[in-house]
Amino acid sequence: MLKSKTFVKKTRSGGVLKIVREHYLRDDIWCGSEVCKECKDEAPVLQEHACIESNLCSYPHYLIPDTNVVLHQIDILEDPLIRNVIILQIVLQEVRHRSAPVYKRIKDAIHEKEKHFYTFTNEHHRETFIEREQGESANDRNDRAIRVAAKWYTDHLAKKTNGGSLKVVLLTDDRSNKEKAEQYGLIVYRCEEYIKSLIGNPELMDRLALKPDDQNEITGSKLLFPEHLPLSRIQSGIKNGMFLQGTFHANRDNYLEGKVFINREGEEINEVLLQGLQNLNRAVHQDVVAVELFPKEHWVAPSSVVLQDDSPNDEDAEEDETENKPTGRVVGIIKRNWRPFCGMLSQSMIKEATRHLFTPADRRIPRIRIETRQAANLVGQRIMVAIDGWPKNSRYPNGHFVKNLGSAGDKETETEVLLLEHDVPHQPFSQAVLSFLPKMPWSITEEDLKVRADLRHLCVCSVDPPGCTDIDDTLHCRELENGNLEVGVHIADVSHFIRPGNALDQEAASRGTTVYLCGKRIDMVPELLSSNLCSLRSNVERLAFSCIWEMNHNAEILKAHFTKSIINSKASLTYAEAQMRIDDSTMKDDITKSLRGLNRLAKILKGRRIAKGALTLSSPEVRFHIDSETHDPIDLQSKELKETNSMVEEFMLLANISVAQKIYDEFSECALLRKHPSPPPSNYDILIKAAKSRDLNIHTDSAKALADSLNNATVENFPYFNTLLRILATRCMMQAVYFCSGMDSDFHHYGLASPIYTHFTSPIRRYADIIVHRLLAVAINADSTYPDLMDKHKQSALCNNLNYRHKMAQYAQRASVAFHTQLFFKNKGIINEEGFILFVRKNAIIILIPKFGLEGAVFFDNKDKPSPHLSFDSEGPTLKVEEHTFRMFDEVKVTISLDASNIQHQRIRMALIEPLHTCSFIIYDLVRTDKGVPVGMPH
Amino acid sequence: MAAVQVSEAEKVYIMHGVRDDLRLDGRGCEDYRHMEIETDVVSNTDGSAKISLGHTDVLVGVKAEIGKPKPMVPDEGYLEFFVDCSANATPEFEGRGGEELGVELSNTLYKVFNNRHSVDLRSLCICPGENCWVLYVDVLLLQCDGNLFDAISIAIKAALFNTRIPKVHISEDEEGVKEMELSDDPYDCMRLNVENVPCIVTLCKIGHRHVVDATLQEKACSVASLLISVTHRGTVTCVRKMGGGSLDPESIFEMTEAGKRVGKALHAPLMELLQKEESLGKKRQKVGFLG
Repeated sequence: MLKSKTFVKKTRSGGVLKIVREHYLRDDIWCGSEVCKECKDEAPVLQEHACIESNLCSYPHYLIPDTNVVLHQIDILEDPLIRNVIILQIVLQEVRHRSAPVYKRIKDAIHEKEKHFYTFTNEHHRETFIEREQGESANDRNDRAIRVAAKWYTDHLAKKTNGGSLKVVLLTDDRSNKEKAEQYGLIVYRCEEYIKSLIGNPELMDRLALKPDDQNEITGSKLLFPEHLPLSRIQSGIKNGMFLQGTFHANRDNYLEGKVFINREGEEINEVLLQGLQNLNRAVHQDVVAVELFPKEHWVAPSSVVLQDDSPNDEDAEEDETENKPTGRVVGIIKRNWRPFCGMLSQSMIKEATRHLFTPADRRIPRIRIETRQAANLVGQRIMVAIDGWPKNSRYPNGHFVKNLGSAGDKETETEVLLLEHDVPHQPFSQAVLSFLPKMPWSITEEDLKVRADLRHLCVCSVDPPGCTDIDDTLHCRELENGNLEVGVHIADVSHFIRPGNALDQEAASRGTTVYLCGKRIDMVPELLSSNLCSLRSNVERLAFSCIWEMNHNAEILKAHFTKSIINSKASLTYAEAQMRIDDSTMKDDITKSLRGLNRLAKILKGRRIAKGALTLSSPEVRFHIDSETHDPIDLQSKELKETNSMVEEFMLLANISVAQKIYDEFSECALLRKHPSPPPSNYDILIKAAKSRDLNIHTDSAKALADSLNNATVENFPYFNTLLRILATRCMMQAVYFCSGMDSDFHHYGLASPIYTHFTSPIRRYADIIVHRLLAVAINADSTYPDLMDKHKQSALCNNLNYRHKMAQYAQRASVAFHTQLFFKNKGIINEEGFILFVRKNAIIILIPKFGLEGAVFFDNKDKPSPHLSFDSEGPTLKVEEHTFRMFDEVKVTISLDASNIQHQRIRMALIEPLHTCSFIIYDLVRTDKGVPVGMPH
Repeated sequence: MAAVQVSEAEKVYIMHGVRDDLRLDGRGCEDYRHMEIETDVVSNTDGSAKISLGHTDVLVGVKAEIGKPKPMVPDEGYLEFFVDCSANATPEFEGRGGEELGVELSNTLYKVFNNRHSVDLRSLCICPGENCWVLYVDVLLLQCDGNLFDAISIAIKAALFNTRIPKVHISEDEEGVKEMELSDDPYDCMRLNVENVPCIVTLCKIGHRHVVDATLQEKACSVASLLISVTHRGTVTCVRKMGGGSLDPESIFEMTEAGKRVGKALHAPLMELLQKEESLGKKRQKVGFLG
């Protein structure tokens, strides 16, 4: 049967279009129930004995939620307890239209077999399709469609079970819909009513989202915030320049301050400062907001005070007279970017209370008020909470409990938390993804042999850190008959296994990178590839992408050649093993000779690179010795660099630069490259000031000048000084990023002093390398191209995702180190240690303890005690506390211990013992991410 | 126009017949042929009608679009006509053959319909001087068997009756920026008042008498014809003489009177029919092009 759907639409140019679509109705849409014999469904989804114990519905029943229930109570629906749910097509469509994340979640739930969720395409069913009637709004029509479908199910099931017990229950929170449904003879409950009736599952109650009318009773009637403007006003305001649109970034250190980054091109102002709760006006970190600028005379400077939302005082941060920034206030929210947040419950003082404050782990997120009956059980647990809304009369947003992640401080729980908080996709790979893996047992075929260079005879070996299972690079070096040297870098040919566009490829593209945490690795590609088929292990035949140079003994490249190949690695060495072979003059085998050749060339290459102005920077990195049984850290040591580390790195750089040049020559518009912009001169201010304090000059006009002056900057009797300077210099740098060559004109890599650079050498753990592999394969006619590869806009979008994932991976990694540091100190007790002052702030000093790579702030103003007399000099910068003046790089002594008294945020507490004995403490936070982003290690 | 070969003897036969109020197909001089009308036949127009008058088949579609009012009449919308002479109608229309006729037809239609006495053009105004509805009336000739004007005019009246224009709300913010909003309810729409829309009656002078709704053979016998547009009250809104021959004042008067009489008699059953069709609503069995 054919129907037509008609609607009018306004076009962009202001015209009006009438659109008519054909709509077919069918009589072969099955109900999906096991009970029904008439519907010829081969694999019915809904169970015959659909039992959830409830005092309201004692009979087996299926649930039909309406659109708003799905949208708001998705957390409930996701609970494994809720099964046998019929999701109507109209509901699904509306959800899709209104919220993409919820749509994805409900789709996932539908796909999960255990949940027995069934999608009923009511809009195409002959008996459940309805046409909109005169005077009926679109929403009313959809509600009616839901009721008609529910009625159809009721009658259909009654017929099939001969008036038996199986029923359908409609869930809706809409009062008028509920009344109409009751008149229509349906069993209908409010979601809350139904969930409350479930026997033996009180914890589900907490996951109910709060409805607006519930929220009123929670808070007083006092209006705390100005009203948000409606979207239409905001849009016209943005159009005529009254408001600016941007993404809100809360300040981590000061909850009363935030910034809005204006992301429109051609705007003079790209950053607006917001101060005070009123002006922040309920914006939450990452929301897209509209801001109104204040007149220039009201502009203020960002405060350099560290202010935590621990205390109840809501005073505004004190104002500063230096350099005022554009300041404004939030007038409306364009798009909320709320996600479920991890954190902990701060139990209410009143014992019986059900309303509690939740403190998110991310300090940029405000505390959230939730309602729960199981507060006592949740204390000390890491939980997840979603925000439901933020009424204008409430100091805090309202939310609901989503799930319990486990007890705080527990290794598993904390790892889960930091993965969630850093948005690292870490679920196991789905069946769809795994289906694209090669079938085992896998072997090299005749065809591979035909199209690839056979390099199995070459003496190829890999050099990696100990315990590495995803080996993606191998090297060889041999003397040619003409006296020149042949050097080859062979990279795992991941793009052979991951074909463009399939689920495996999409998953890898979305993950972007493998994330290495302490004692745990979150793979970008399934383990079969990462640790087996792609990993270039020794004595097995593997597919590789080779970059082979002919060089003379001065390491000058005479010829470069790229080919897909087959190799057979002769040895998988660790850095230490390789070093031993090189140093042991008695060893004369091929591998060792090859290594020595490589090492010699690498030294020449490195020398040349440094002469060009490449920077050697430093960041305090530590490595834990993990107990193999308990997986607890037992000792930690700074990462030690051997000659062989630098040898491997040198050749990887060379391969990356060669490949970058090659793909850029072939595809000037769509080559995926990596750049490292030179930092703005003002970034170096702190470095120059710091060096001045020791009567040294740092030149920052060019990378070369900086490298040279860093090399010369040494202070007698202070060997660590140079490292400190380098750590500081690292903090001045910009982040290196991927970009698409067609979208940018500045290709320079500042840190490596190379005009062009890309990532080619780690395709197992970085998606960018896979794209580069594909580009290179097309360039040498080894593979075919596909449209997305040549689309600079698509590639640019991919780059954005990769940059984001890399940044988050880095943060997650650091958070993991921080957590393990805490575990370490938990076992160690109290230690006295030496440290250096890294920065001096207005009310605090930041101290670095090289031995543990620890960094934290000492606050001198303490809210409990009268603060000592402080005077801050921004020129030095120095901070005078009572009698003592703290300067940058001063050596101090501290005592370190784990402060587990506040399980909310476990801290490493460090008290200053020399030169000034104070009770103030240094805090090393569990999640510290914004300060000092070190340059990504190039290799 | 489509030519038929009529011999002298046939012509005499037809003329003699007309003189005795007896036409070739048995009709009287002021009788129309059998007429079939169906509205709402093309779903993606805002209003449409198909008419068959004898073997003359005409399809009319009305599309409403938002445009700018003409500067002379800022508070009125307007109509635009386009007549497409399909080569299906007659082989003569092949290529650019039908263009001349099409232009002639559309010019005439423009004169007849696009004035505030025929259609309430004020109701088409959205925002004076800025936006108004423009009704694009597209006429498609599917088959030609004489008396195109009458058939087209009746089809246009039916199509305008059927036209539903989406309601537009103008909202204004404090800066005076106007924003148009479309109602999302497909039933929330504006109808046109077609009461005063005239129909064209073409009278062909044959011998000393005149006939309405001439067939092609009759047309071949006529040297001149008079096109009269008449409203339901019998008011003549437009008169046009077509053809090479001349008409004496007396016969013009006679023909006008006859036209008024016939036209008046045409309107009442047409409106009745249209209303009856509409009252059937969704239950109506659509015939479309298969009928």
